[in-house]
Amino acid sequence: MDKYDVIIAGCGPCGAMAARAAAKAGAKVLALDRRKELGAPVRCGEGIGLHWMDELGLKMNPKAVSAEINGSVLVSPDWKRRVVIRNKETKGFVVDRKVFDKDLAIEAGRCGADISVHSEVYDVIKEGGKIAGVKAIVDGKKHEFHAPVVIAADGGESTIARLAGLNTTATLYDTDFGVEYEMVNVDCVDLIEVYFSNADAPRGYVWIFPKGKDVANVGVGIGGLHAPNAKYYLDKWIKAHPERLGKAKTVAIKGGIIPVGAPMTDEAVGEGIIAAGTAAHQVDPIHGGGICLAMEAGKIAGEVAAKNALAKTCDRAHLLEYAEIYKKVREPKLLKRLKLRKVLEKLSDDDFNAIFHHLDDKDIDNLLKSNFAAVVGKMTSLLITKPGLIKTMSGLL
Amino acid sequence: MIEVNKNLCIYCGACVGVCPVLANRLRETWIDHDPQKCIDCGICPKACPVAAITLHKGKKSL
Repeated sequence: MDKYDVIIAGCGPCGAMAARAAAKAGAKVLALDRRKELGAPVRCGEGIGLHWMDELGLKMNPKAVSAEINGSVLVSPDWKRRVVIRNKETKGFVVDRKVFDKDLAIEAGRCGADISVHSEVYDVIKEGGKIAGVKAIVDGKKHEFHAPVVIAADGGESTIARLAGLNTTATLYDTDFGVEYEMVNVDCVDLIEVYFSNADAPRGYVWIFPKGKDVANVGVGIGGLHAPNAKYYLDKWIKAHPERLGKAKTVAIKGGIIPVGAPMTDEAVGEGIIAAGTAAHQVDPIHGGGICLAMEAGKIAGEVAAKNALAKTCDRAHLLEYAEIYKKVREPKLLKRLKLRKVLEKLSDDDFNAIFHHLDDKDIDNLLKSNFAAVVGKMTSLLITKPGLIKTMSGLL
Repeated sequence: MIEVNKNLCIYCGACVGVCPVLANRLRETWIDHDPQKCIDCGICPKACPVAAITLHKGKKSL
């Protein structure tokens, strides 16, 4: 039997940051991951905002960068309006997750955390009504690892949190599902492209994220209540736009689950257990990005877990400090974005076109940043001409 | 119970995250489905982004 202070299930961006933070705080840490190769298979668009590196106190490893991004292009459903936004928030990277994720794990290892790959956590250990460790299959053999606190960082599957009794099940309404092809022969510049259209990507969008030279991640995310499936919409979109992707060849297929509902806080904490990152739905409700949100939550979870493990206070009341910090630093911003998502998802393509044509680039930037006050005037003049929109948009007020 | 077409599945874990009774588990590159736990709710076939899942209502084995 192996004893640790903090055990982390899943060593993606969230788990690795948790491991690093907990090890730095002086705890004996074990991070387990099912995969033989961290970061693979890739399940996402791989986009990361530059501002996050400062916020997380990290430096981007140039080897993990596939392409540097200087802004975004938002395209209206009729393709007649292309809004280019270049500012601090839209600067960033498209990374190679296989390098990026492993790098984070390497850093955690350097800080003293034990990393166990090819190690599938299949259950939690419960003792006296609290979580006391995990059961895992390591290199084909069953093992038990004990610790007074477990961090569930197992991504969209969120199996470990649920085995521990937290309700993290994703509902179809509050979840997007995505499919993405990595393609070559795609004309790319230093901008990510986002195509809005409820007909082409209901409750989601189509994206083209440059991965260097003529390679790009081309993907679609759709709301869970929309049939038939994400791949259907992606194939249809690619076929419908030969002028953009006629010569493109697929070199990889990726897919995933994106919980875009409210981020969990108190509900993500139990006796001896904290769920963090995508496992706790800590994902941007509009663009579905979750890499850095997961890293932020992992860092908080790791620090709180280590502190309480060393003080022998891993009851829920003490671990709730994680939720309190999250409520201060991130939850309000995400809830504001969730409100906007719930309005955007009701818009028809005609509505989208009207808004795109009525607002200038700066207005749209403000709208997406949830600076609603800055666009109220312009929106009002639009709403007067489109009374049907008033009810939908009133959700923002 | 459900049947996962392994030739279509991209082992993304979507069917795992939405299952209300934890009947699906993602192993290395495949889904382990537990027909005894499955309640035939039909959610995971809707979630699957690549249409790899078929629901066999009322069945506990194939």
